[in-house]
Amino acid sequence: MDVDFFVQQLVNGLTLGSVYALIALGYSMVYGILKLLNFAHGEVYMFGAFIGYFVLSALGGASSPSIPVAPLLVIMFLAAMLGAGLLGVVIERYAYRPLRNAPRIAPLISAIGVSFFLQASALLLFTAQFRTYDTPQLIPIDTTGRIDAGPLHISLTRILVIVSTIGLMIALTLLVSRTRLGKAMRAVSYDREAAAMMGIDPDKVIVATFFIGSALAGAAGVMFGLVFERVFHLMGFTAGLKGFTAAVIGGIGNIPGAMLGGLIIGLAESFSTGYISSTFQNLIVFGILIVILLVRPTGLLGSPVLKKV
Amino acid sequence: MKTPRFWLLLALVAVLAVGAAACGGDDDEDDGAAAPETTGGGDTGGEAVDCTASIGIMGPFTGDVAAIGQEQLNWAKFAVDTFNEERGTSFELVEGDTQLDPAQASVVAPQFVDNDAIVAVVGPAGSQEVDAVGGIYSDASMAFISGSATATNLTEDYETFYRVVPTDADQGPTVATYMVEELGAQNVFIIDDQSSYSTGLADSATAALEDGGATVSRESVSQDQTDFSSLVSAVADDTDVIFLPWQVAANAQLFGNQLAEQGKDVPIFGSDGLFSPDDFKVAGSYVSSFAPDITGLDDPAIQDMVAAFEDEYGDFGTFGPPTFAATTVVMEAATAVCEGGEEPTREAVLEQMDQTDLPDSILGQPISFTENGDINDATFFIFQVQDDGSYQLVE
Repeated sequence: MDVDFFVQQLVNGLTLGSVYALIALGYSMVYGILKLLNFAHGEVYMFGAFIGYFVLSALGGASSPSIPVAPLLVIMFLAAMLGAGLLGVVIERYAYRPLRNAPRIAPLISAIGVSFFLQASALLLFTAQFRTYDTPQLIPIDTTGRIDAGPLHISLTRILVIVSTIGLMIALTLLVSRTRLGKAMRAVSYDREAAAMMGIDPDKVIVATFFIGSALAGAAGVMFGLVFERVFHLMGFTAGLKGFTAAVIGGIGNIPGAMLGGLIIGLAESFSTGYISSTFQNLIVFGILIVILLVRPTGLLGSPVLKKV
Repeated sequence: MKTPRFWLLLALVAVLAVGAAACGGDDDEDDGAAAPETTGGGDTGGEAVDCTASIGIMGPFTGDVAAIGQEQLNWAKFAVDTFNEERGTSFELVEGDTQLDPAQASVVAPQFVDNDAIVAVVGPAGSQEVDAVGGIYSDASMAFISGSATATNLTEDYETFYRVVPTDADQGPTVATYMVEELGAQNVFIIDDQSSYSTGLADSATAALEDGGATVSRESVSQDQTDFSSLVSAVADDTDVIFLPWQVAANAQLFGNQLAEQGKDVPIFGSDGLFSPDDFKVAGSYVSSFAPDITGLDDPAIQDMVAAFEDEYGDFGTFGPPTFAATTVVMEAATAVCEGGEEPTREAVLEQMDQTDLPDSILGQPISFTENGDINDATFFIFQVQDDGSYQLVE
C-alpha cells in the first residue's frame, strides 16, 4: 500500500509540477534575456486558460462538443498559445520596451502594474464568475478514461498533461540549442550590445522570447483547466508566484533549471499534502525556496556569479 | 555579498505576499447563503399602507458563489415587488455585493449605515461576513437578518442580528445522526475549509459522530486550493463517508471528480454550503439544507408563488426562499410601524422585528424569533444527488 500511495502522490506531483514548470520557463526565458522579472506572466497564463475555455464553449462545450475530442484539444491549445503569445508581445512592446534603459526597478514596477491591470481587465471582461472546463464530460474519468494498475490510478487527462509538457520542453530545448533563433536568444542574453554588433536585432529576439514564453504559459493555462477544471480571474496570482519560485529554485535564467524547479515544487506540494497535511503545503514550498537561496543563491542549476577582481 | 541578500529579500517578500493573499481571503465563498425568507403567505388583501423605506441587501452577487447570490437577490426583489403590489407600500432594495468576502462586507456595511434611507438589511450570506459587520450594524441599531448564516454564535454575539435558518449547533447532530443511523457509517473523514463556518460545523459534527460511536479523522484545506488529488490519495480504504462542510460547491465537485478518478467509491456528505445544483452534481452524494425544497410543499398559496417566481426569474434551489422570508419579515415589521402611524426608523423597525409573529411563510412554517434572534422550530433537511444531477429530499 505504501509504495502505491507513494507512486500515486508522485503522479499527482508530476501533473502539478508540469504546469508550474511551463510557467517557470516563461519567467526564466524573459529573465535570461532582459534580466527582468515579468510579474505579469501569471496573468498571461490566466488569459490562456480563459481562451481555452471560450474556445471549448464555442465548439459546443464539454458535454456536447461539435468536433471530436482530439482535434478539439489541439485547437484549444493552439488558440490559447497564440492568444497568450500575442498578449505577451503586446505587454513587452508597451510596458517594458519604453523602460529598456531605465533603472532596473522601473520595469519591475511596471510588471506589477501590468499584472494588476490584467487581473482587473479579466474581472471586467469575464466577471468574477468561476468557469469550469468540466473535463470529465470531455475525457471520462471512469475506467474508460483511466489507466488502473492495481491501486494506482492515472487519468488520461493527467497523462496528456505530463506528456505534452515533456513534448513542449523538448521542443523548446531544441529551439534554443539547434536553431538560429535559439542561438540569437543565447547571444542576446549573454551580451545584448555585442549581439547587436554581430548583426542580431535584439528587439526581434526579445519579441520572439516573449512570444514563446507567453505561449508556454497559455498552454499551461489550458492544462490547468483540463486537470483542475476551474478558471477564474485570480488564478494567475498564486500560479505566477509558484512559477516564479520554481524558476528561482532551479536557477533563474536557466531553462532546464526552470523545469527542475517546477517539478520540485509540484512534488513538494503533493508529498507534503499526502504525508503531512495540506495545511503545510505552502509553508514547505516557500521554505524550500528560502533554504535553497541560503545554501545556493543562484539556484540549483544556476551558474555561480563570477566576481571580477 | 549583494546578490544572495537581494534574492533572499525577494523571497521573503514573496512569502509575505502569499501569506497576505491567504489571510486576506479569496473572494467567494458561499456560505450556504440564502437569505432567510420572511413569512410568505402573501395575500392579506388589506388596505393600502403608505410606507416608504429602503432595505439593504448584502450578498455574493458576483464571484465564486454568484449563482447562489443571484438567486437570493432575485427572491428578495420578488418579495419586494409582490409585497408592494399587495399592500401598496413603497419599499426599495439597495444592493451591496460582498462576494462572500468579509473584507468587502466591511466596506458595504458602513455604506449602508451612512445611507439614511435604509432601515434594515437582508444578509449577509456568510457567517464570517456576519462576524465582520455585526458590530457595525449593532452599533447603528440596524436590524440585519440573514437567510443563510448558520454559525451558532452569531445571534448571541450581535444584538441586532436575526436569521430564519437553523444553526450549525443543529446541523452537526442532524447530519451525524443521518450518517450513523441511515448510512451505517463507522469511519468518517471530515475535511474543513478553514473558514469559521466550516471549522465550527466540523467540530459540532465530530462531537456528535463520536457520541454515536463512529471514528472521525480530520483534515483541512484552504478555500483557494485548486488540487485535491493528494488529499484524495490519502483517503483511507475503510472510510465510509467523507463529510465536507465547505462553502465553495465548485471545490467539492472537483474533489468528487478526483475521488472518482482515483477509483475511490466513498460517498460525499456535504453541508448546506454545498447545496448548489449548478455546481455540485456528484451523483450519490448527500447534501444538507436548512430550507426545504419548497416546490414539494403542499400549500397552494406557496405553489402559486413558486410558479410566479419561475415565470419571471426561472429555476431556483433552496437559497432563494429563505431570503424571501427574511425580506418579508423586514417589510412586515416596517409596515407594522407605519400602520401604527409612525415613521419607519431603524430603531422602530428593530423593535418591531423582535415581535415578529407570522403564522405562515414561504418556508412552510410560521416565523417567530427567540430572544437572541434565532428562528423558532427550524430544522435541517437532507437531500441526495441523483444520477441526473437533481437533488431529491431523503429526510
